[in-house]
Amino acid sequence: MKSKNDNRKNNKMFKDNETIDYLIIGNSAAGLAAAESIRELDKSGEIMILTGENYLNYSKPMITYFLSGTVNLDMIHFKDDKFYKDNRLDVRLNTRVKSIDTDKMFLITDDGNRYEFRKLLIASGGRPIVPKIKAIGTKSSGFIDGTNYDKTEGIFTLTNLEDAVRVKNYIEKNGIKNISILGGGLIGLKAAEAFLEKGIDVNIIELADRILAATFDREASGIIEKKLKSTGSNIYMNNTIEEIHIGSGKITGYKLKDGEKMECRLLVIAVGVNPDTGFISSGSLDMARGIIVDDHMRTSAKNIYAAGDVVEGPDMISGGKRNIAIWPLAVRQGTAAGLNMAGGNKKYGGGFFMNSVELLGIPSISMGITNVAEEKEGFEVLKYLNTNQDMYRKVIIKNNRIIGVILVNNIERAGIYSGLIRNEIDISSVKENISREDFGIIHLPADYKKHLVVGEGIEV
Amino acid sequence: MRERHGDCKMKKIYIQEEYCIGCRLCEIYCQVKHSKSKKIIKAFKEEMIDILPRVLVEEIGYNSFAIQCRHCSDAPCVEACISGAMQKNKNTGVVTCDEDKCVGCWSCIMVCPYGVIRRNLSGKKIASKCDLCIDEEIPVCVQNCPNEALKFMDKDAKEKNPVGTKTGRKNEK
Amino acid sequence: MALELKQSEFEIERDKNKCISCEVCVRQCSNDVHEYDSDQDTLYSDNSKCVGCRRCETLCPTGALKIRNREDQFKTNYNWTSSHLSNIYRQADSGGVLLTGMGSDRAHTVYWDHILFNAAQVTNPSIDPLREPMEIRTFIGRKPERLDFEINRNKDSKESLKDTNIKLKTKVPPQLDLSTPIMFSAMSYGSVSLNVCKSLAAAASEFGTYYNTGEGGLHKDLYGYAKNTIVQVASGRYGVDVDYLNKGAAVEIKIGQGAKPGIGGHLPGEKVTGDISNTRMIPEGTDAISPAPHHDIYSIEDLAQLIYALKEATNWLKPVGVKVSAVHNIAPIASGIVRAGADFVTIDGLRGGTGAAPQIIRDNVGIPIELAIASVDERLREEGIRYRSSIIAAGSIRSSADVIKAIALGADAVYIGTAALVAIGCHLCQKCYTGKCNWGIATQDPYLTKRLNPEIGTRKLLNLLRGWSLEIKEMLGGAGINAIESLKSNREHLRGINLNDRELAVLGIKHAGEAW
Repeated sequence: MKSKNDNRKNNKMFKDNETIDYLIIGNSAAGLAAAESIRELDKSGEIMILTGENYLNYSKPMITYFLSGTVNLDMIHFKDDKFYKDNRLDVRLNTRVKSIDTDKMFLITDDGNRYEFRKLLIASGGRPIVPKIKAIGTKSSGFIDGTNYDKTEGIFTLTNLEDAVRVKNYIEKNGIKNISILGGGLIGLKAAEAFLEKGIDVNIIELADRILAATFDREASGIIEKKLKSTGSNIYMNNTIEEIHIGSGKITGYKLKDGEKMECRLLVIAVGVNPDTGFISSGSLDMARGIIVDDHMRTSAKNIYAAGDVVEGPDMISGGKRNIAIWPLAVRQGTAAGLNMAGGNKKYGGGFFMNSVELLGIPSISMGITNVAEEKEGFEVLKYLNTNQDMYRKVIIKNNRIIGVILVNNIERAGIYSGLIRNEIDISSVKENISREDFGIIHLPADYKKHLVVGEGIEV
Repeated sequence: MRERHGDCKMKKIYIQEEYCIGCRLCEIYCQVKHSKSKKIIKAFKEEMIDILPRVLVEEIGYNSFAIQCRHCSDAPCVEACISGAMQKNKNTGVVTCDEDKCVGCWSCIMVCPYGVIRRNLSGKKIASKCDLCIDEEIPVCVQNCPNEALKFMDKDAKEKNPVGTKTGRKNEK
Repeated sequence: MALELKQSEFEIERDKNKCISCEVCVRQCSNDVHEYDSDQDTLYSDNSKCVGCRRCETLCPTGALKIRNREDQFKTNYNWTSSHLSNIYRQADSGGVLLTGMGSDRAHTVYWDHILFNAAQVTNPSIDPLREPMEIRTFIGRKPERLDFEINRNKDSKESLKDTNIKLKTKVPPQLDLSTPIMFSAMSYGSVSLNVCKSLAAAASEFGTYYNTGEGGLHKDLYGYAKNTIVQVASGRYGVDVDYLNKGAAVEIKIGQGAKPGIGGHLPGEKVTGDISNTRMIPEGTDAISPAPHHDIYSIEDLAQLIYALKEATNWLKPVGVKVSAVHNIAPIASGIVRAGADFVTIDGLRGGTGAAPQIIRDNVGIPIELAIASVDERLREEGIRYRSSIIAAGSIRSSADVIKAIALGADAVYIGTAALVAIGCHLCQKCYTGKCNWGIATQDPYLTKRLNPEIGTRKLLNLLRGWSLEIKEMLGGAGINAIESLKSNREHLRGINLNDRELAVLGIKHAGEAW
């Protein structure tokens, strides 16, 4: 990717005082959606994007597709060069932000540059969590953690393309035939699938008593577990890595909590992601786990907005604020933020968790709240399970509104459910149909059906 | 904001539920249109294993309607697409899935409130949806609906000629 | 169970090379003729259930289906025809009256096809209706015997007409103003679907002519077309109240119908549901029986009472007419009706359609409309009362030529029923009485009524009216006539062919080849 540093001299967009109209931290879903929206309203203002990454554009959720070989580096982008050119976006690669002065409205980057801005969007995404693990055979601290894990060869996280490229190269260079994955969540399992497709065996170590515990219920997890085991993979549940064994700067194995010792030449740590807020000094912005934003994606500081995986935004289901790190919401938040930054008035409208993942040929979709103690006060759970075909459908209802859905194997028309959740439709009149396999628009409450088929649903 | 893609002038398919007769000719002609040979008998007899209709007829008793992608202006599928395959063309307003780019993550299926995107598993896994037959003057489902339960028109025409309302009242003064 | 001896009337040919098992035929047939066998991926058809409506054949996307009439149902016999044999077998099974629908399909003489229209050559010029004015507007209603004018001449300029103020003194009775001499005949909501009514009403309204409610009352969705509605009052008086009468542009008392003269009607209780019960103003589930006669009309004098009662109820603002079947004494009957005060007389001929009638009546009772019109027009003229009523001809008007011939024989306008239904999809399978009309016309099954989109129905009817009107203008122009009024009863423009002297005499026309 070519360096953009020479652009500045010739770039007529910049005014003399060097204050950037719109400065965006982050070059992924939220950041680019914002940039595009800003450009819709403001044809002339300069837009600069800062990113710590080395690639002009790639889709983060697709890095496991890159690992499996489904896409190559040429196809992993979700926006092409033309997008950047058409929207006149000045992208600074390898530019990590060090600190922000929210009052004086400037920020400092790792390379010491200072950028003044009129409007700032923080869309810095997430950082992988690396738990502190005892390490045997290391020269230094005796522990592996987020600051030093990458010093040991064979230990990786997997949240950006650089990680994926390194993992891929490492596998090829060292002829890896077996990989251990710490964490049985979505990233871990997506990685597992990619490795399995490449003919590499995987061991999955999960702290909970089942995989995908955060997004699935027991039945759904069970279906995936069964399938995983049928591929010869090992899943270690209720377990974690107690110590990592290192020799000559490389991982050689680890010991599990239950005492079992494993050989390991490549370990992927996939226990989760936190909002990437390291560059924000405490007290400068209202924060919880992520940056707190209102329905217009404004932070607590004037002219500073935030969007995407870094924020805690309105959650439609709980009614509170929550960090929901998923792509569609990042785009929606980015769009709202961008329009508001450029003088528009756009409400984000809230969102809820949802995820689509196909593991080992089993497509699955989960939305909203998926784990409730069954029939607990106020919750109603409708289920459809076809054990022969591993077909599973579960709908969780509260106050006659759907608040959660799990679909495994048959995901046809899943979006109808997300529409029902988003629009808070009273489904009491159609309950008997709601979890059926061929659930469709025709089963919906008459008004909403009309709205979708002939009504405003079609309006632009 | 709404008209940013010129959607007002964009011709869309409107559904007249009360006149859908459930014959499914729309599905049949959609399959033919997206077959290799585009010849109905050949397509069905030799090529059909691979072809999903991109319009969907839903039916319970005498209630039925055909529904296909609404080509929304704030299309949730475009928003959710992680690969950039799902795009709304800014000139035509048509939402299409670039099958080369699609990786089959099914995020679009997850968010489409109409449920009109389907998994095509015949080759590389891809999302299959209505492309509004962009090379035809009128989409084939509309062309071949024997009862005009599907109409292809722009918003102005739609307002002049509201669908979904009972005909026969317009002269009432 | 004894074997049914009736044979299938139709044979369904399915070309396996063309059939793509799309099942459109299965979904479209309300008689369950076609069936898909998923084990064999094959479609089977049951000939015995087929009514020959050709819905499947029409919608089959590959042309794989052919419905053929079975000519060889029985051994050929010119006396004991297939139809006689089938009917006997059917009756031997059922013991009942055989019902049928639509007009008679028997080979009665169709006089229209034995009448030829004239054209102008040399002695009078023909007219090009595309370049010269051509009037096909006509009025239905009682015409004044004579017209009185009030003339106020300006005293100063005795010569100039410009300064003369002429005012019509005669009060002209109410008239229906038809932009073309074609109206849609009475088809009740109940016998046909509401979508058919909407199509007829909307087309009549847009073209400037009239449709007739039949005896089923007026559905509220049709109120908007009041100005183009003729409301009917029949022996059952269903849906009749003063609002109904005043919703219409004219009132028609129905005495008889060409397909079933002397016979009443019977809509079974199970068909009297929701909307139909409301529109007919009878409780849901009750049989709607139209008695054979009006029980308050046993003479011309009784008819006069009803006519005047209806005129009174409508403030003398609307023409009130009477519809009768064409029967043997139609001329004196019509004369009586005119004298009873009817503003128009509708005469429905032998071949007129119906939703349900005993087949034996339909095919054997009444006389052809051509003869009836000619004799009625003749009689009214002789009696000097032709101006008092308009004559509307009905009962199988199949083309614009039939229209123009009817007018030349003496009609003011025609009603079309079957032709209108054919325009919107009817294939004359004659199974209206089953309520399973695959074309969504003669049915109330919501699965089937959807099949007629009134928007399409309206468009097709408008096209039919437009096409026929253009043809009428062409024929008029060709004959050197520039107004339809000039053709009325102008039998010199007609010639008979292959007709005997009696027939020519009744029709009041010369044989082809005979000149002045």
